[in-house]
Amino acid sequence: MHETSVTTRELTRRFGRFVAVDRVSIEVGSGEIFGFLGANGAGKTTLIRVLCGLLKPTTGEATVAGYDVYTQSERIKQNIGYMSQRFSLYEDLTVAENIEFYGGIYGLARTKLRQKEKEILKNFGLHRHADSLTAGLPFGFKQRLALGCAMLHEPPILFLDEPTSGVDPRARREFWDTIHETAGRGTTVLVTTHFMEEAEYCNRVLIMHVGRIIALDTPDALKSRFEKRTMQEVFLELVGKEIGETRTRGQHGEQGEKP
Amino acid sequence: MRRIVHMTQKEFRQVFRDKPMVAIIFAVPIVQLFILAFAITTEVKHTKLMVVDYDRSTVSKDLVLAFVHTDRFDLAGHTTDLREVREGMRGWEVQMGLVIPAGFGADLVRGLKPQVQVVSDGVDGNSSGIATGYAHGILAGFGADYAAVQDSGAPPAGLSSVRMEERMWYNPDLSSQQFMVPGIVVVLLTILPMMLSAMSLVKEKEIGTMEQLSVTPLRKHQLLAGKLIPFLFLSYVELAIVTTVAVLIFRIPMNGSYMLLALLALLYLFATLGLGIFISTITRSQQQAMFVAWFFMVFMIMMSGFFIPIENMPPVLQKLTHLNTMRYFMSIIRDIFQKGSSLPFLLRDVVPLAAFGLTIFSVSVLAFRKRVG
Repeated sequence: MHETSVTTRELTRRFGRFVAVDRVSIEVGSGEIFGFLGANGAGKTTLIRVLCGLLKPTTGEATVAGYDVYTQSERIKQNIGYMSQRFSLYEDLTVAENIEFYGGIYGLARTKLRQKEKEILKNFGLHRHADSLTAGLPFGFKQRLALGCAMLHEPPILFLDEPTSGVDPRARREFWDTIHETAGRGTTVLVTTHFMEEAEYCNRVLIMHVGRIIALDTPDALKSRFEKRTMQEVFLELVGKEIGETRTRGQHGEQGEKP
Repeated sequence: MRRIVHMTQKEFRQVFRDKPMVAIIFAVPIVQLFILAFAITTEVKHTKLMVVDYDRSTVSKDLVLAFVHTDRFDLAGHTTDLREVREGMRGWEVQMGLVIPAGFGADLVRGLKPQVQVVSDGVDGNSSGIATGYAHGILAGFGADYAAVQDSGAPPAGLSSVRMEERMWYNPDLSSQQFMVPGIVVVLLTILPMMLSAMSLVKEKEIGTMEQLSVTPLRKHQLLAGKLIPFLFLSYVELAIVTTVAVLIFRIPMNGSYMLLALLALLYLFATLGLGIFISTITRSQQQAMFVAWFFMVFMIMMSGFFIPIENMPPVLQKLTHLNTMRYFMSIIRDIFQKGSSLPFLLRDVVPLAAFGLTIFSVSVLAFRKRVG
């Protein structure tokens, strides 16, 4: 199966006069782990939110799972899983209740829901916590639960917005193992991060700066093109150059990321 | 449909998990009912009366007794100096002065019409007006009785040639609780649905779950139905509780139909739940929602005729009360409780209540956006 699952052409999103996403064109294939890299305010989150149907694009085209973001956002929602920067499950519900609720919202049949619930509790090491309130879980566990809930309906496309910020390195490593497994089963994963070592785990990486694409390739190709050993160095080189250019053009680069 | 069930189940779980919240929902209304029922009263009792008796006759003593024997007036003291009344009023120790001039008794015996002076503290105009009315009644009765006792036989001249027979319908004891308690039921039926729905919707925005729900196939109407069904249910439970307390403990006679009350309450709940949704669309945090809900509530209660009679308001404000849904339900519930009115007699209020309720609800539902950005 090698079709594209997310396509954008000249996709732009403005907030007033501020251009958060500036003419971005990408094609993401099925089963690919596609990373978005960039400093805060680079436009990663806005781009993801547009693709999830949380924001309408200003101009440009985009399709997700073959559906148009302007007109078919309800169809898109059946086909994606989304995990936001903030932990957004119900802290006053237990782990099992959260799974049941989201499963119900995604329209899973009762038996299917039971099976998925068992699977998540087992795979994410949450079985001992099934009946504890979510509020009391360690942060790493919360993130795993959030990922589990986002994948309950087995969506072909998964959007993860900085899923590992605030998670300790070991838990982050485990989290990425899960992402790889998921992608291995054919799920497309679009993930934003500002951890450069995580960029190495992606099939392809998109580096953004003030809303625009400044590089898009596999981590290896990027490293060899710039003759660097790590993605960290590649990123600093690229963004450093951009900031230099922006300065000479007499503009101010960084702006706060819009919600 | 299953989504609504899941949403409703989740909402119930959240409400009942929050133990202090459960206490607030069920205990606080009863406490409020008890406190407000006794505190909000239009009756004027135990007015502190100071007597300035220049007459010192048996007649003047009888007159003072006539005042003090009722629970309307308490004797705050005797004096022969009018200035003491003034000082007493300054110190909030005296609310009314009764000045009996010298020769009062003798004049009354001779069939002249002697005058007494009643001085009242007018700071609380309403209460002093009512107390003055009571004083008037006592004086008239006293004059008539005295004349009758004095010359049994010939009818007394003057005042009492026409006698008024009073009959108070619907509330024979003129108990203000009978009037206020059904009103408090309305107030409670406003606070709970409006606050709960506004707070719970805004909370989802605040903690980010609204965004999470926005990327699921859950539709707006499913989200709102799932949210509102539990609050509708809780509102009815509350209505049942406070009505029971009103009837069993406050002995408020329920002369109308419970079914009709429940049915019309639904119209009112559409309005209050709708307002809750509306508040959630214009606020971002639970604090903001609280303030806005509070603002609405004060306006609604003040302009509903709950304790300020609408007829006493300036004409412009009277017109403004027609925008207040609480006004309609306030008079409906009082009519049902006290007059036992049936639907045809209530249509005057039911029609605007239905119109406002459904309009507020549909406008709020339309204004509500699941999409956050």
